[in-house]
Amino acid sequence: MSGRETVMLVARREFVERGRAKAFRIGTLVTLVIVALVAVLPTVLGVGGDEEYTVAVADPAALDVARAAQEDARAFDATITVRQLAAPAASRALEAGDVDAVLTTGGVRAKEKPDDALVDTLQAANRRVRVTRALRAAGVSGDELRTVLAPPPLRVATVEPVDEQQDERGGFAFFTVILLYGQLITFGFLVASGVVEEKASRVVEVLLSTISARHLLTGKILGLGLLGLVQLLLIAVIGLGAAGATGALEVDRDVLVAAGLALAWFVLGYAFYSCAFACAGALVPRQEELQSTTSPLTLLILVSFFLSFAVLDAPDGTLARVSSFLPFAAPMTMPTRIALGEASAVEIVAAIAVTAAATVALIPLAGRIYSGAVLRTGAAVKFREAWRAARA
Amino acid sequence: MLELIDLRRRYGDVVALDGVSFSVAPGQMFGFVGPNGAGKTTTMRIVLGVLEPDGGEVRWRGAPVDLAIRARFGYMPEERGLYPKMRVRDQLVYLARLHGLDAGAALRAAESWIERVGLTARAGDRVEELSLGNQQRVQLGAALVHGPELLVLDEPFSGLDPVGVDVLSGVLRELADGGVPVVFSSHQLELVERLCEAVAIIKDGRLVATGQVEELRERGRRGRLVRVAVEGADGWRPALPGVEVGEQGPDGLLLHLRDDGDPDRLLDAARAAGRVTHFSFERPTLSQLFRRVVQDEGAPV
Repeated sequence: MSGRETVMLVARREFVERGRAKAFRIGTLVTLVIVALVAVLPTVLGVGGDEEYTVAVADPAALDVARAAQEDARAFDATITVRQLAAPAASRALEAGDVDAVLTTGGVRAKEKPDDALVDTLQAANRRVRVTRALRAAGVSGDELRTVLAPPPLRVATVEPVDEQQDERGGFAFFTVILLYGQLITFGFLVASGVVEEKASRVVEVLLSTISARHLLTGKILGLGLLGLVQLLLIAVIGLGAAGATGALEVDRDVLVAAGLALAWFVLGYAFYSCAFACAGALVPRQEELQSTTSPLTLLILVSFFLSFAVLDAPDGTLARVSSFLPFAAPMTMPTRIALGEASAVEIVAAIAVTAAATVALIPLAGRIYSGAVLRTGAAVKFREAWRAARA
Repeated sequence: MLELIDLRRRYGDVVALDGVSFSVAPGQMFGFVGPNGAGKTTTMRIVLGVLEPDGGEVRWRGAPVDLAIRARFGYMPEERGLYPKMRVRDQLVYLARLHGLDAGAALRAAESWIERVGLTARAGDRVEELSLGNQQRVQLGAALVHGPELLVLDEPFSGLDPVGVDVLSGVLRELADGGVPVVFSSHQLELVERLCEAVAIIKDGRLVATGQVEELRERGRRGRLVRVAVEGADGWRPALPGVEVGEQGPDGLLLHLRDDGDPDRLLDAARAAGRVTHFSFERPTLSQLFRRVVQDEGAPV
């Protein structure tokens, strides 16, 4: 049997056996539900949409101020509904929470501390109305008033083009980071615990009497990686589909490219980490001891996870640029920058090349540690012993 | 024929194997015995290529063993050797395929072995759901599913009840009769003596005895073990130079003669004690041989 056939057989077993495990299926389902909910909920709950306020006007003299505020609010993506109520009715409405504030000539009354945006809008409107009245009383004509009070607005220009979708892209990048983090940790652990399972049950002895350690390791990593990729693809399709359908995110070409690149980065990151996780598994005799050898790797992934949050804040900063070329961090920080639209094509290609090169360098080292340690039963194997035990 | 030629292996400073050589003929049942830590498992792992020797080699039918040849060997490691969460049938099919059978042949072989070890009703169950005895049956099926040309088993009888021992002995006997050499290690020496034509006794990484069981027992006899029964003198214990008193059995007292012990003087002493009803040189059993070579600082048999 050729090496390729052997690797395919091993990979298929990993894919099928892990894929049909109940824990895996339930985990996938729960993730999908969460992703779909997170994509849909903001729209359903109206979070992030226009702010809406209701203001009761108990004093006809204050009506001008309310109308002026209503006009100004549009500039802030807010809507103010004005209800004219008698004083007692206004108080009752305020008490019942039907209105956000009661406006009188002298002041604003709210149940609890009112939104600053609402108060600021009302204050500005009040100033404008009073100034208008004063000017009019001083005999300023309507045209002059308009020139004074409604000057042509300041024109806003930016050096770089404005991305109307910036907030949405931030949310998308945030999700990409969380999903990649979860996926790398989960599948890294699956590789490690799969290796321990074979070691603890001595299946590995039976396997290695027939196939080489290299083929076994390659097949295991390929099979589990494919499963992780399929799961991630499913999550991406459902998540983007839900977000696109509800309008939470405009799924354009840029988003699809970023999602595709995030999947590619999962493959890169998984390739890098899975080799290391396989060694971590091979070094210990039992599942219970896995923690001791995997914790440095978990820590690296965690550090990359937090780096990605820093990158979310400053996708163009020094940290973001440097971490793109650290093979352990790039699989999480780079997709973040790509999702935010802050990575140039040259940077993307260079970062991919660096991570891929590091992985290629890691594979023979990992293979040596793995084959040196995987047959050592009894106590945990020291790193150096495993290195020496493996002969070329 | 399987040949092990001068196998050497160290683990750090510990010498696990110090020049182990023996051969197993086609159709032979071969017992591999020795105290714990003597190097049995290390030897078997080297035969299966799971471990690289520091020196020496393993030959099968005259050729050095490689991965392709090993695919035709069957191996049962000491504990489990199965995926706990995999279903019985899937497991056997998978192992058969790794040994080079195509999908159809692998499925047929798996079904046939499942039936043969009596697990048809449990074929769809996970291995971890089976009792230990049933798991051992799956293990046997796993070692045999690809129709191996050589079978190596590490402590296959440990933990089996008497019925299980009989079933397994039957299967192994059948294979050996079919021409497949069967090598297994065991601490149950009576069982090894009953089943095996040949044995190797290993101690501290060195073979202290190897050959046909009958031959070893015959060689071990040479006036060294004497059984004497003296009528009317139950408490008789000779005090002679070179004679060690052993246990009192139903057919008489067992005595060990060292090199300086004289059987004639022993017989004279017995006759002086009473009427001698039995005086014979005994062939040591395998366990007696084993104790002798293992305890007497590895003195060769």
